[in-house]
Amino acid sequence: MAHLVLLPILIPLVGAMIGLLVRERRPLQTAWTLGTMLTSLASSLWLLWAVWQTGQPVVFHSGGWLAPFGIVLVGDLLSALFVVMTQLVMATGIIYALGSQDKVVTYPTFFPLFLTLATGLTGAMLTGDLFNLYVFAELLVISGTVLTAVSDDKYGTEAAYKYFYISLLASFFMLLSIGSLYISYGTLNMADLAVRVAADGSRPLLLPGIAFLMAAFMVKSAVFPFHFWQPDFHTAAPTAVSAMLSSVVVKLGVYGFLRMTTLLFVEQSPQIRAVLLALGVIGVVFGGLSALGTHNVKRMLAYSTLAQVGFILVGIGWGTPLSLAAAIVFAFNHSLIKAAMLMLAGYIASRASVKSAAFAVVTGVGRPLPAAGVLFFLGSLALAGIPPTNGFVSKALLFTSGIDAQGMWPLFLIGLASIFTLMYTIRAFQRIWWQAPAEGISTKSTGDQLIAPVILLALILALGVWAEPLVAVAQAAGTALGDPAIYIHAVLGG
Amino acid sequence: MTDPTLLWPILLILAAASIAAVAGLPALNRRLSITQLSWILALAPLSAAVLLVLRVPQANDGTVFTWQWTWLPALNLNLGLYVDSLSLLFGLLVTIIGTLVVVYAGQYFKGDQSAWRFLTYLLLFMASMLGIVMAGDVLTLFIFWEGTSILSFLLVAYKYQYEEARNGAFRALFITGGGGIALLAGLLFVSYAAGSTEFATILSSGDVLRSHDFYLVMLGLVAFGAFTKSAQWPAHIWLPGAMSAPTPASAYLHSATMVKAGIYLMARMNPALGFTDAWFWLLTIFGGITMLAGAYLGLKQHDLKGLLAYSTISQLGVLMMLIGQDVPEAYKALVIGVIAHAFYKSALFLVAGIVDHETGTRDLRRLGGLRKVMPYTFAAGTLAALSMAGLPPMFGFLAKETLLVTVTNMPPVVAGVIRWSTVLAGSLMLAQAGLFIWETFMGQTKDPDVHGHEAPWPMWLAPMIPAGLSLVLSILPGPKEEASFLAAAAQAAYGTKVKVSTVLFHGLTVEFLLSLVAISLGFGLFVFRHRVRAWQTAVLPDMSFNKLYVWVLAAIDWASEWATRLQQGRLRPYLLIMLSATAVLVFAFSWRTFSVVSLGSWPGLNLDDELDLLRLFALLVVVGASLMSVILVRDFNAILAFGAAGLSMGLLFALEPAPDVALVQIVVDILSVVILVLALTRLPRRQRRKAQEVAVILRYSRWSILRDTAVAGAVGLLVTLITLTALTDRPRESVVTPYFAANAKTLTGATDIVGAIVVDFRALDTLLEITVFGMAGLGIYTLLRHAAQKHGDNRAVEDGEGTAVSDRQATYGISGMRTSAFVRVPAFVSLPLSLMLAATHMMYGHNQPGDGFTAGVVISLAVALWYVVFGYEETRRRLPWLRATSFVAAGVLLAVITGSVAALITGNFLGNVDFTAGWAFMPNGFHISTSFLFEVSICLAVLGGAARMLNSLGHPEGRDRD
Repeated sequence: MAHLVLLPILIPLVGAMIGLLVRERRPLQTAWTLGTMLTSLASSLWLLWAVWQTGQPVVFHSGGWLAPFGIVLVGDLLSALFVVMTQLVMATGIIYALGSQDKVVTYPTFFPLFLTLATGLTGAMLTGDLFNLYVFAELLVISGTVLTAVSDDKYGTEAAYKYFYISLLASFFMLLSIGSLYISYGTLNMADLAVRVAADGSRPLLLPGIAFLMAAFMVKSAVFPFHFWQPDFHTAAPTAVSAMLSSVVVKLGVYGFLRMTTLLFVEQSPQIRAVLLALGVIGVVFGGLSALGTHNVKRMLAYSTLAQVGFILVGIGWGTPLSLAAAIVFAFNHSLIKAAMLMLAGYIASRASVKSAAFAVVTGVGRPLPAAGVLFFLGSLALAGIPPTNGFVSKALLFTSGIDAQGMWPLFLIGLASIFTLMYTIRAFQRIWWQAPAEGISTKSTGDQLIAPVILLALILALGVWAEPLVAVAQAAGTALGDPAIYIHAVLGG
Repeated sequence: MTDPTLLWPILLILAAASIAAVAGLPALNRRLSITQLSWILALAPLSAAVLLVLRVPQANDGTVFTWQWTWLPALNLNLGLYVDSLSLLFGLLVTIIGTLVVVYAGQYFKGDQSAWRFLTYLLLFMASMLGIVMAGDVLTLFIFWEGTSILSFLLVAYKYQYEEARNGAFRALFITGGGGIALLAGLLFVSYAAGSTEFATILSSGDVLRSHDFYLVMLGLVAFGAFTKSAQWPAHIWLPGAMSAPTPASAYLHSATMVKAGIYLMARMNPALGFTDAWFWLLTIFGGITMLAGAYLGLKQHDLKGLLAYSTISQLGVLMMLIGQDVPEAYKALVIGVIAHAFYKSALFLVAGIVDHETGTRDLRRLGGLRKVMPYTFAAGTLAALSMAGLPPMFGFLAKETLLVTVTNMPPVVAGVIRWSTVLAGSLMLAQAGLFIWETFMGQTKDPDVHGHEAPWPMWLAPMIPAGLSLVLSILPGPKEEASFLAAAAQAAYGTKVKVSTVLFHGLTVEFLLSLVAISLGFGLFVFRHRVRAWQTAVLPDMSFNKLYVWVLAAIDWASEWATRLQQGRLRPYLLIMLSATAVLVFAFSWRTFSVVSLGSWPGLNLDDELDLLRLFALLVVVGASLMSVILVRDFNAILAFGAAGLSMGLLFALEPAPDVALVQIVVDILSVVILVLALTRLPRRQRRKAQEVAVILRYSRWSILRDTAVAGAVGLLVTLITLTALTDRPRESVVTPYFAANAKTLTGATDIVGAIVVDFRALDTLLEITVFGMAGLGIYTLLRHAAQKHGDNRAVEDGEGTAVSDRQATYGISGMRTSAFVRVPAFVSLPLSLMLAATHMMYGHNQPGDGFTAGVVISLAVALWYVVFGYEETRRRLPWLRATSFVAAGVLLAVITGSVAALITGNFLGNVDFTAGWAFMPNGFHISTSFLFEVSICLAVLGGAARMLNSLGHPEGRDRD
């Protein structure tokens, strides 16, 4: 049973390696990759189901070495839900790649790298060991860098270089933090560390360790002002990849902050939350404004991620069980929405006469493509939090929790800034689907396929109408986060 | 008392909307004309209206129908309906006028088979609107509220080819959408304070809400939402812009229904939030200004629909003002005013639509004399205009009378201002009604090109019915039932009993006199309309509050440009900001911590100790070489310096003593230098020289260098502080180290702790690290092939010669020259030697320094030597077994399989199993165990990764395949 938590990591890893072995036979490789991802998704759903049923985290002690001596993988409600989110979106990403016209998806290493990206992200969310998290994050970084560097977009390599450089910096911060904490408390196990930090919060390297870990996670989640790599990177990546990066990959930092404030550093969490709240609000405003000011749909959506992550951070910043649940719901829903929107942007770019998502090129391209227009419009509503989409559920929950937490100023500011979302999405929609194309711009008759965004949009609407399953799990997760003893007990026993 | 049949009206209309959407399918679209379709669809709102009427008698007795569905059990949130007389009043308007508009639209769009889209939006809107007025809780209300905003957007931009339509739609959505956000916050606030989202609870907890600390916040937010929706000044500017919608939509959304949603909401919330001074002032002031602004601006319009839009704004102001008054008469005036306005204004809009449809223009300066050719339309228009003018015996007269009764009963502070404002607005309204009819139908046509003819009967019947109702309702049968219905509706909004009579004439009262004043003034304005209009244009030509919107939008756009200009894509400022932010963050978190660290306690340095001297030397080399690697301009030198730094690090480790780490550090350092040098050779000489020149030429300003130095220094200082603290304040032994030391031998059979950690205690880390390494190698390969492909694509166009040169380069060793035997022989020998060395590393990785990783790197170094000596072609020919990509996959898979086998035996993935335990004939210290297999898989993956890099870099074109 404990091995259940291993499956969502191991399946894509093994799948990637076998994918490498069959790299010369593309049809086999693609089918294999999709099958792998779907199997992995099934296993992560199983994990979530198991955790939900028993109410207990599933803990796997690698090699049988008990915590804190060996590495543990921990699937509690939070990590299991985040893993389901990750693998669900990544499965649609593979479906999109299968129907994509990009040259990059024909590279023999594309799909294996895609799967190691999934492995890295999943593992980083499931591990209960700080150093192990670092290693998973490295796998994530290297896969993401390569996938973007070889993009059809001519700026892919430059963007990947920036990302890699800044990620190295983040890795350095994370190592500094892990080193500081290890020196102070002598352990890498997160549950054990939590116990020791709670027992003695006076070690001189504790606070620097926390701050460096925050900086590292901020780079991971592209939080203002650590976000600079993100718009370039998400814009230049191949559509199938950028839809992953801007949706689920940026959630790693969010996950990290949730763990930091509710498990590792509960005592110090008021300070951490204050920072998150401030940076979240700034991110919402700044990201919204930047999204309004760009001239490229994909870039607009990338900036929008900066703003949307800001909303999530505000939820974590409030820190009540309800607001944590709201942040979790927001994160989950945003992943679906942003992936769908980026795929639609990529779809439009694939139909433009020059392959680009710049407004100058895609204006009016949507006119002969009403189906994509309906999808994009619904996605815009979801992003702006308008019913009957899941975005509304996120926003309503977040606002409710903000009122509940008496967080007046952040609430006021994020409320004010959320009009930006409506503005930039609707402007983009009008430009692409309603405005007349410029002279000489025509719509190509073939392009990427719409299956993946259709699946995502169906989920977006379904979770908007029937939000209960997600909200119930998130709420239980939020409540469980309020009591770190559950996690600690499951890992350390006793 | 939950009654699912309440859903029927909404479901019927939704069903009709889906029929309309299905009618868009080509197969159906060809067979069913839009007119036929509209007849079918109209049945839905008609039946909905009937269903609602059937509930009126019970509702008059005070019954409230409710229905509930548990939407989010986790949060105890319900969606539901709550229907009382007030809901029924609005619901009937929505469905009755809706029926007419659907029929009318069928005529309006006759022959336009793409209008199924219009009908779908219209019916979806109708369902949303019905949802608002029947909503049983704030969430349901809000869901439908946003639905109306979105559908209004789609309807306004129905003719999206026109920029005007797109902009009008955007403006409407921007304003109502912004209001929606405020409303959501406000409603959630109200439910938080009341403890429930349901109206049943909220309406009865008025006292709690009014005395709540955040009462003003709630009120402000809710009112903001309602004001934007109901086009109150200064948010009214979206309404005239929304007139680019097709006329049936304008008639329906922008006069009869959607703009009343704000009115409905405030009336609904009155028992909960009303009866305070804030409420009174807020609604009176904004309502009053809106009333005057709308009436004034309306008179100067030339566009029929523009005129109607402004008079709608004015009327909405009146209604909003009425809700603010704490007198029963106000609520009587409210319900009568809502009905009167809905009927006459929708009729007038429909008339305007007919005129536009049949003549092709809506410009008052071109129309005229249409009464002869369009008699029925004229009749309908005149009836409605009389009602708008507030003349007896129309329903509009009644509305104005009750309004005047209210304003004469207002508190003295504002009574004078409001009374005369109302009279003025009333007279302006009368003048506009006259203007509408006179300029359109009377006199002679002003533009000879404008010809009209009567519309088909269903089209003129649509405005005739509400216009007729304006007359019938005030003079014909059953005033009693009607009055009691209105009284019940008013009571629902006001909270206590409201008396309503629909008797037109009450005798010679103050109100009647005021009415006479208004009428006379209105006639005066009408008679001198040309002069008044000319005066309006002369005095305040640009008076429109559109500027406000333009400014807000310009401010946002300016800010957004500023935000994007901060992010130009250059790495240097990015790093600067990020490093500074990190430094600030860390200092902010831990300045107290650092201050307690006694910087005096430097770790002792004993210069008499030779080892310490050696350490100091190694340290200085590390620092010096690192500095050189940054400063040196020539790339090759910089790489060598980098390698020297790494080697001295290895020396430091060795002196620690940490032989395992030192060994790994040294072999990795050598490998990185080799790879870097190989990479350098792949760069064209010209490009390298250019890069060096750029590095020399590029001089930054002194200030920016200082700034960068400061930031780098701050971060360096932080790291130094942390290191010092770590050294001086090492508090205790690690928790895990003693455990490893004690148990490595007994549990894993390893005498070398590092080996045990790598393949046993933290085997999962190792598994991932080899994956990372392998994927990095594959990444380089992918990237180079990608670059080669792009490069090749370009060059194929330029010339076809290039490949010949590179083929020769590929065949031989260094720079295409054949290497001498003195170099070739050691290379030949090194590979088998390295293989043997690697084998021992793997076999005894558990017991001594060196493990699968160093094994892999050592073999890779030998392979690298081959590439240097023999060149790409020969190396590949002589080493056919070196299938790098497969090695990576095989390595990782072997590790996973080993782990899984262990899981089968011990029950733990990556557990430790010694397969040869107790075997006598094994070589000393060697066991075939999971640990050994794991070492092999590490070696395979590392070799694969490194060979992948070497293969790709070795090929001059990067076109390596395997």
